[in-house]
Parts: sequence; C-alpha cells; structure tokens
Amino acid sequence: MSHHHPEEVIKKVCEQLGEDLEAPFCKEVTDHLKECPNCRIYFDTVKKTVVLCREMEEQQHLPAEVRQRLMKVLRLDRKA
Amino acid sequence: MNNSSISNRAGDKAESIIVRKARQGDQQALAELVTLYSERIYNLALRILRNKEDAEDVLQETFMTVLEKISTFDERSAFFTWIYRIATNASLMKLRRKKIASTEYLDHPDFEQGRENKILQDWSRNPALTLDDQEVKKVLDQAINDLAEIYRAVFVLRDIEDLSIRDTAKILDISEENVKIRLRRARIFLRDRLSEYFSERV
Repeated sequence: MSHHHPEEVIKKVCEQLGEDLEAPFCKEVTDHLKECPNCRIYFDTVKKTVVLCREMEEQQHLPAEVRQRLMKVLRLDRKA
Repeated sequence: MNNSSISNRAGDKAESIIVRKARQGDQQALAELVTLYSERIYNLALRILRNKEDAEDVLQETFMTVLEKISTFDERSAFFTWIYRIATNASLMKLRRKKIASTEYLDHPDFEQGRENKILQDWSRNPALTLDDQEVKKVLDQAINDLAEIYRAVFVLRDIEDLSIRDTAKILDISEENVKIRLRRARIFLRDRLSEYFSERV
C-alpha cells in the first residue's frame, strides 16, 4: 500500500489539512486524492467536520441585558 | 479595487478616528468602540468558553482592560488584533482557572501516521448528518469542549471566526507555522471524534 502513499505527497495532504480547505491546492495532492480512496475519505470527512462546526457556532446576538450590564460596569451607560 | 474593499477601507478609517478619540479619553468614542466590538467579543469568548456567564465575564474584563490601556495602544497596529488578543487571553485564563481544559492533547498523531492500513468510513455525504440531529450536535459540542486550550483557540479564531493564519498568529503570539500545525491537529481531533461516533452508530 505504500506506493499509494508516497511520503512527500502525504506530507502535503497533511499540510493542506492545516490550511484553507477550500483553496485550490497543488496538483500532486489533487492527483493523489483522486487515486487514493482512503486519503479522499479522510480529507472529505475533515472538511465536513469543519462545515458542521461552523454551522453549530453561528453568531449570537448580544443579549440586551448583557450589553446594559457591560455599559454600567464601564460607566458608559449614559454615553451609548 | 472592489466595493467591499473600498467600504472596508472607509470602515477602517472611521474606526481609526474613533480609536484616536478614545485614546484621548473621549467617552463617546469609547462607547462607540463598545458598540462596534461587544457582540464580536462576546461570541469569541462564548466559542472558547462555551458558557454564557463566563463569556459575559470575559466581555466585561476585556473592555475594562481596553479602557485602562487604550492610551498605550500603538495606532500603527490594528485595533481588532489588539482587542482580540486581550479577549482571547482573558478567555484562556478563565479556561485554565476553571480547569475545563483538563484533557491535554499534545501528542495527537497527524494524518501520516497510522492511517495507511485502516479502511475509513465515508460519512461526509451521509444526508442524515445534520445539526438537526441533537446527538450529532452533542458529540460535536463535547468534542470542542475536550479540545485542549492551545488547539481550541486556534480552531475558534481560524475556522469559526474565519480570521487569516497571519491574524491568528498575531493574536496568539505564535508563528504562522504553529497556527497551521495546531489547526491541523484540532481538525483531526474533531474529525476523529465524529468518526468514532459514526462507527458506533453503524
């Protein structure tokens, strides 16, 4: 199985996992992902994990009472 | 130059005027800075600490530090990086105090080790995998909670807040290479936790 996983290519796949996953990456990595189902699955599931996390962590509104308390603590409540 | 970069520039300019006034002690400008950043800081703290009361504490602590130290802020640097650094440090301090991050995850093997002979399950296209499934949400939330602080901070800043590698490195005062390594490990950790859950479910 090692011929499917040349060390340098795997290193690049691995590096890509710490980069922007949507960015077009080098041809060597793309070619490897096309021919290696295991790496492809790994890459896709990491990508899906990040997408799910983004969805889960959607921006929340600052509750009005939290803002009020903040302004009071900062003694800026008459300036806002 | 596109419209959004023009408006970003205009926004940056307006913000630097507010920051300059705030540095001179202008209370109205300080209040404007709070309005501009409070929601973002609250969300950042909430994402790191995963608890609303703790996030509110960090929000207050962050702005108290801003008020106290804004006269020392170097206007040549970006205000957003400065305030994010204060808020991230305050959040991480709180995490340490509460010992939430008890699971250290320092030696997680990267992709190149131990993957070659494993048959992997592809759940990335499983239509049942959505956040409508409360169990999936719970697993993911617990996984983020179990991420050690050094990985959690990078993951939140880079993948959730969508900051660049450069800004993330500046905020955490680490190298860009280190951001990439920590991000990779965080992503792999979270992915592996979801994968464990799916193999158990199957």
